Amino acid sequence: MTTTRSRPQPAPAPDLEELDREQARGERRWAWRWRVPVHTLRGRATLAFTVVTSVLCAVLAVAVWVAVSQYLLVQRERATLVQTAANGAQVQRALGTEGLSVPQVLAQLPRETGSVSLYVDDGEWLTSSLSIGRDDLPDALAETVLSGTPARQRIAVQGETLMAVGIPLTNLDEAYFEIYPLEELDNTYRVLAAVLTLSVAGLVPLLLSVGWWVTGPALRPLNRIAAAAASIAEGDLSARIDSRGDPALAPIATSFNHTVAALEARVRTDARFAADVSHELRSPLTAMLGALDLVEAAADDLPPDGQEGVAVLRAEMHRFERLVADLLEISRADAGNADLVVEEVRLAALVQEALARRRLAGRDDAPVHVDADASDVVIDADKRRLERVLGNLMDNADKHGGGLTGVTVARGEDTVCVMVDDAGPGVPEEERARVFDRFARGAGSIRTRTEGAGLGLALVARHVHAMGGTVTVDQSPSGGARFTVVLPVEITP
Amino acid sequence: MGTLLVVPRSVLIIEDDPRIRRILQMTLQREGLEVTEAESGESGLARVGEHEFDVVLLDLMLPGMDGFEVCREIRRSSNVPIIMVTARADSHDVVAGLEAGADDYVSKPVVAKELSARIRALARRTRAPEPRLRITVGDLEIAPQEGTVTRGGQALNLTRTEFRLLCELAEEPGRVMSREELLERVWGYDYFGDSRLVDVHVRRLRKKVEHDPGQPTVVTTVRGMGYRIPA
Repeated sequence: MTTTRSRPQPAPAPDLEELDREQARGERRWAWRWRVPVHTLRGRATLAFTVVTSVLCAVLAVAVWVAVSQYLLVQRERATLVQTAANGAQVQRALGTEGLSVPQVLAQLPRETGSVSLYVDDGEWLTSSLSIGRDDLPDALAETVLSGTPARQRIAVQGETLMAVGIPLTNLDEAYFEIYPLEELDNTYRVLAAVLTLSVAGLVPLLLSVGWWVTGPALRPLNRIAAAAASIAEGDLSARIDSRGDPALAPIATSFNHTVAALEARVRTDARFAADVSHELRSPLTAMLGALDLVEAAADDLPPDGQEGVAVLRAEMHRFERLVADLLEISRADAGNADLVVEEVRLAALVQEALARRRLAGRDDAPVHVDADASDVVIDADKRRLERVLGNLMDNADKHGGGLTGVTVARGEDTVCVMVDDAGPGVPEEERARVFDRFARGAGSIRTRTEGAGLGLALVARHVHAMGGTVTVDQSPSGGARFTVVLPVEITP
Repeated sequence: MGTLLVVPRSVLIIEDDPRIRRILQMTLQREGLEVTEAESGESGLARVGEHEFDVVLLDLMLPGMDGFEVCREIRRSSNVPIIMVTARADSHDVVAGLEAGADDYVSKPVVAKELSARIRALARRTRAPEPRLRITVGDLEIAPQEGTVTRGGQALNLTRTEFRLLCELAEEPGRVMSREELLERVWGYDYFGDSRLVDVHVRRLRKKVEHDPGQPTVVTTVRGMGYRIPA
């Protein structure tokens, strides 16, 4: 049965999934080499995110360090003062009641490891340590304490930081000092600083990953814009951006869509103009061809130069007719209203028919090879367009390729392809993409002005794409050009 | 027994462009046809009412009443073969014109030789290799000689092309006929046939002969092959 589609399928746009996959590949590559692609927007956004958050983390870490170290110091100071006061009181009590000597009392005092007790009475200093004595205490501290005020000061002895705390005792010129090591506190500071630094440093890669992960969805709208722009660049002017209710994207989407709509309208108008022009040419062409027939019927009565004129007229009319037909066909395709008539087509039979038609028209025959598994393949295609494709490819081989040398029909996995070979010099690689452009005439090819208008291959490409296939040109095994049309086969159970 | 030929004598041209009309008239007259002209759909319809033509040549692009309408209007009263002249072969116009009741089409620019070949092919009547008086297909009774199809004594109103299509298929029940073969047998095309002609005519035929055109049983489709009347 014949079905009609109002429009050709638009050229497949690079879909978002594909872009996502692209992204995923980028991500993997990036993760492998630990390098942010800075040249991309996403890379820059990720980097900015990472820098800002890293600085914030560093500031936070410093603040934590300051607060914690301050707190620990205050706690330590308070504890040493309490300890010193308690020991001072015990010294006084012991000396007053038990009649022990000062060194004995000092030795008995409960002290934390590494701390040293000093006792002074009337200028006589006694110490519980062999290495630390009066000389290590700053004079200012000793004077302050001996004048009746408890005091403390950090001191350095043999490169070690210590805390000296002194409290006055009951008698004048009597005082008790205790010197505490601060090494442990310093160690704590160092560990804390190291932990904080490492945490911040360790956060950077984590932040990079988070940034990358977060910017993906955030920038996905840009991917949609990119996809739309890409499909427009590929010629699908019906592509639009769907803002999907995203207020941030809506203005861009609206202006983008307006621009594309204007462009599309412009292209359609141009194409319709071309279509209208060629359409309008057909009525006079009908009258002219009819008139020419009448003249030709009476050509025997014409003088020889008149007969020659009629012959020229016939040849030129034929060219003109072809040109108008091609122009109309391609401009209608451009205007987007060429109807695709899809029906079941037995491709191998169609190829045989096209060759039979050539024989009928008196052209050189060419061998056709149909692979065994391709002979019964039925595809859903527009038969008229497919005939046009085969006819144009064979014409092209005759006119520009030194003659048709063979046609092959082969079966792919879910495709079927037709290969048309010619005897020409082939198409140079740099021209292969351009041969399907309209009015393309390769500089190195043997095309001449009188041989067609250069629309044949452009029409081939249009028609094949409209049917969801591809057409390419490369070298045939025998040296000439090989045009390959690949069409999808609907898998039938 | 050969082909039963009716040499076409009269053609009606419905075409608004006077130059094209004149050229067509001269060309067809040279082929020995008697040509009547009509410059609009309305006057064309009036001519069809006055005279019985062998073929009507109808331009689809007419001012006022367009070709599709004219076609449907003619079909109300007559089964005369209609060849429509379309601007483009690749448009919906062709299918729409065939659905409206046209038998065949030529596209502009019209080539005189092609046109007269089409006219001759359409004016030809059913060919009957072994003229049988009656062919029965299910509850249908076909009389090739008289050109009638009846169901239960009730005559079905088929156009000549529909009738010929039915006869070709009924001649060899069970055999699948490809679209190309049917184009050749019914329309006289060699290689240049448009298979939409067959498809649309089968559709039109089914509307008339099938009990349920959506589930055809008289004329069935064989995917990728063509059509057949099951034996």
